[in-house]
Amino acid sequence: MAESTLRSGTAEIPTPGLWSRLVHDRNWLGFWFMMPAAAILILFLTYPLGLGIWLSMTDASIGNPGKFIGLLNFYDKECYGPGDCELYGLFGDTVFWQSVWQTIFYTTFASVVKFAVGLYLALLLNNHMPFKAILRALILLPFIVPTVLSAIAFWWIYDAQFSIISWGLTKLGLIDVYIDFLGDPWNARWSLIFANIWRGVPFVAITLLAGLQTVPASLYEAATLDGANRWQMFRHVTFPVLTPIIAVVMTFSVLFTFTDFQLIWAITRGGPANATHLMATLSYQRAILGGNMGEGAAISTAMIPFLLAAIMVSWFGLQRRKWQQGETDD
Amino acid sequence: MDKKFTRRSVLKGTAATVAGAALVSSDFMDWSSAWAADAPFKPEAGAKLQVLRWKRFIQSEEDAFMEQVAAFTKATGIEVEVLNESLDDVQPKASVAVNVGSGPDLIWGYYSLPHLFPNKCTDLTDLADYLGGKYGGWVPAAETYGKSDDKWIGIPVCFGGNYINYRNSAIEKAGFKEVPQDLDGFLALCQGLKAGGMPAGMALGHATGDANAWVHWALWAHDAAMVDENDKVILNTPEAVAACEYVKKLYDAYIPGTASWNDGSNNKAFLAGEVGLTNNGISIYQKALVDGLDIKDDMDHAYYPVGPVGVPTEFHIAYPMLVPTYTKFPNAAKAFMAFLMEAEQYNRWLEGSVAYLTHSLNAFNDNPIWTSDPKRKIFAEAANRTLVAGYKGSVGQKSASAISEFIVVDMFANVATGQMSAKEAVADATKKARRIYR
Amino acid sequence: MTDVAKNPTVAGNDDSEGMDYLMTRRTRWVTVYLPLSVIVFILLFPFYWMTLTALKPNAELLDMNTTSPLWVADPTLSHILHVILETDYPIWMWNTMLVSVVATFISLVASVLAAYAIVRIRYKGAQWVGGLIFLAYLVPPSILFIPLSVIVHAYGLFDTPMALILTYPTILIPFSTWLLMGYFKTIPYELEECALMDGASRTQILMKIVLPLAVPGLISAGIFSFTLCWNEFIYALTFISTTSNKTVPVAMLSEFVDGDIYRWGSLMAGALLGSLPVAILYSFFVEHYVSSMTGAVKE
Repeated sequence: MAESTLRSGTAEIPTPGLWSRLVHDRNWLGFWFMMPAAAILILFLTYPLGLGIWLSMTDASIGNPGKFIGLLNFYDKECYGPGDCELYGLFGDTVFWQSVWQTIFYTTFASVVKFAVGLYLALLLNNHMPFKAILRALILLPFIVPTVLSAIAFWWIYDAQFSIISWGLTKLGLIDVYIDFLGDPWNARWSLIFANIWRGVPFVAITLLAGLQTVPASLYEAATLDGANRWQMFRHVTFPVLTPIIAVVMTFSVLFTFTDFQLIWAITRGGPANATHLMATLSYQRAILGGNMGEGAAISTAMIPFLLAAIMVSWFGLQRRKWQQGETDD
Repeated sequence: MDKKFTRRSVLKGTAATVAGAALVSSDFMDWSSAWAADAPFKPEAGAKLQVLRWKRFIQSEEDAFMEQVAAFTKATGIEVEVLNESLDDVQPKASVAVNVGSGPDLIWGYYSLPHLFPNKCTDLTDLADYLGGKYGGWVPAAETYGKSDDKWIGIPVCFGGNYINYRNSAIEKAGFKEVPQDLDGFLALCQGLKAGGMPAGMALGHATGDANAWVHWALWAHDAAMVDENDKVILNTPEAVAACEYVKKLYDAYIPGTASWNDGSNNKAFLAGEVGLTNNGISIYQKALVDGLDIKDDMDHAYYPVGPVGVPTEFHIAYPMLVPTYTKFPNAAKAFMAFLMEAEQYNRWLEGSVAYLTHSLNAFNDNPIWTSDPKRKIFAEAANRTLVAGYKGSVGQKSASAISEFIVVDMFANVATGQMSAKEAVADATKKARRIYR
Repeated sequence: MTDVAKNPTVAGNDDSEGMDYLMTRRTRWVTVYLPLSVIVFILLFPFYWMTLTALKPNAELLDMNTTSPLWVADPTLSHILHVILETDYPIWMWNTMLVSVVATFISLVASVLAAYAIVRIRYKGAQWVGGLIFLAYLVPPSILFIPLSVIVHAYGLFDTPMALILTYPTILIPFSTWLLMGYFKTIPYELEECALMDGASRTQILMKIVLPLAVPGLISAGIFSFTLCWNEFIYALTFISTTSNKTVPVAMLSEFVDGDIYRWGSLMAGALLGSLPVAILYSFFVEHYVSSMTGAVKE
């Protein structure tokens, strides 16, 4: 990315000295401003990202760089006899496909709920009420508690024998058998999604709350004078101004949910019977515990199209908005 | 608490190391110094060691271990820093260390860890021969886990026994005096326990230690196995289907929810009196002893029953220690392991570990810990009775993959929870195994 | 919409204002306080459970019959005292703080500059750079840590706080940059143009005009960054070895999980002790949202 900024020399400023060019020229200025971020990202990430993708095309194991095997980690076919062929590589791997569907489901569901509840909570918190400051801080607690530890707490809350939820429902007379939160595939999926939402809502809410503060009051005043009702005000005033922030927060939320690891690993480790494996946990299991670096890297490479799609949607969404505001002329 | 502070300070540096050593009796110190003087492995000058180990299961085991570390430092002048990580986190740390070629000089992990990167492990054949020759030879499983081809790449310092834990009162209520040693009798016991209101329960979730231990027992007991001697997948057999059906019956007699259990769940449930039988190391009993819980008088341990195959098919954790090739002090590392496993230390350590750990060298059969308490007795044989990861097949990376993928655990879990029929589950697991053993 | 309620001087006899007026008290209970309490209850219940666990004596932990598990019959401070006095918790806390504060600071500075450059300086290719930055998230940390460890080692950072201080920004900068871009865009361009006319430099504009207006965004990005550092597990586990260099999440797990015995009280006590101060700290920042809104944007 440095290169594009180096090609400076727009003709806007008439032949200034080198120093003033370095300080005032738009492109040079951009370059200086970009430096710290670019330096950290390039120094630390280019090699690992490249290597991560390279490994997916090797048969590397731990401590052994392996050799190039093309796309065999992804697709391979072996025939034991006529008509007795089996697909190998990720393509023929049922656990992998299971983890793909589970990841998509987990991400979609958790992100949608996080967004809906987060936005609702932000709007609620934007009201004036007693103890507002304390309340806003308390709301953030689920986000603050280190994930590994809150995951352990959830593991207990979902315990087959000591679940406080089951206990409560039993006392209320609503159930008579303790709920098997983590032993049944669907229960386990919902339980993890809930834990993820629990962790994610506070941040979405607080960020959107911050966004609400940037909505100019004059817009509301104007809308009020035009006789807009609450929904119209939200739809035509609040929401458009919030869009860029929503786009960023949700992109982030989708990316981080898609690559979620800690929560799953601490609570179910992918069980029962792989019902809660996500692509990230599966790749860790294969690469680190199974010692099969190439295959693990292939799984994480397989995540790239999804992540890329999420980024593109959000990025072009933002771009479009910029044009609407007519900011591109300049 | 004093002890705790000492242990802590030992971690921190030299000044405190002296304090730690002060705990060690002077006789022992004399011996240590003498040992160091004619140590079989001459440490490099100025050597320093970093040991990465799994976090203790038993406090007194760690205390005994740290005492030895202090004695080693005192005798040889080699500083030893001990890094603790929970058992499951040793492997990622080891992977990173081996990958970058820098890190701890000794890594102490589980099962077949050295076989994940055999080329990156220092050849320890001389050390293994020295110890084996001096202490009555290695148990067979130790040899399998330690050797890659003809070379020792890890020293299986000890094993962790995993046996049936049961409440005496509960099995009596179910009409049994002891745990039956045949499969049908065992099933009847579990069904009786359920009827008596204190069911059995064994982990069927992704629990590295407990789940693997009992599901492999169940599979092998029915004379089924994942692979044969040539690593050819032979899982798809009527025996494996029978094993699945047997486990399904067991599961139905268990307390609900065992498909979600991890390594800690059964400890919790057993100590709380929710289950009357489970499989575990000695950590439950030890916790009951240390905390003075009444349960200590109403529990005991038993072997796993023997199935149609006719021989014990137990599967206990191995704890091998390896020296990565990047270390600058391979001889100091060997000296450290030799010191650790000399009778003078090893015996104390076994006592400190209160039967949680079982020796891998035959000479330690008569350690006093095995006769100190009848409830600890059977753990003495864990290392001798255990089969190894991969069973008849190789113990290398493929068997490690199969275990880390929980293929056998999931096969049984799928049947037990009704997701698949026994036949489907076996076919499914066979497919997964073929992928790994290709 | 609440700005309307907040600002009664926006005189108007229109519907909306009238609705707000009617809404007071009873309707407000239904539309605001009730849903809010439900959400807050759900969000805080696991936290309440953690607090209880930290205060329960071991005997009560697994007892669901003689005492109600929803309350502590005989609260004890022993777990909390144990964590503070008999472990290296204060040191871990210090490490975590140090790493989080420095990494957050670095990330914020880098992100503010980058976001400003992309949104306002708009050098050639700025659009593309903005997109490229997010590529940092393409390979998830659960596998990235292996190749990254090679880099960290090559730079000689292994087992030092710097290993974390410099790798965390790789997770933080892309998000913070995008977030700040969003906030910078909401600031009217005219303000800057005037300043530029008056001969202010870009840096001056950034410091004097843009930043003060983007405070909510800075706070959001800061909270995000700090918390992520605070929580991070895999890098902290694999890049740090020495016990005295560890961060709270990693150290807690290796200290209070004895193989298959979890020391619940201490684990939860540690989680609480670390989280409460941060929550209180955040409460000041979050409260700043509202007061930070100077008249410039609103009027």
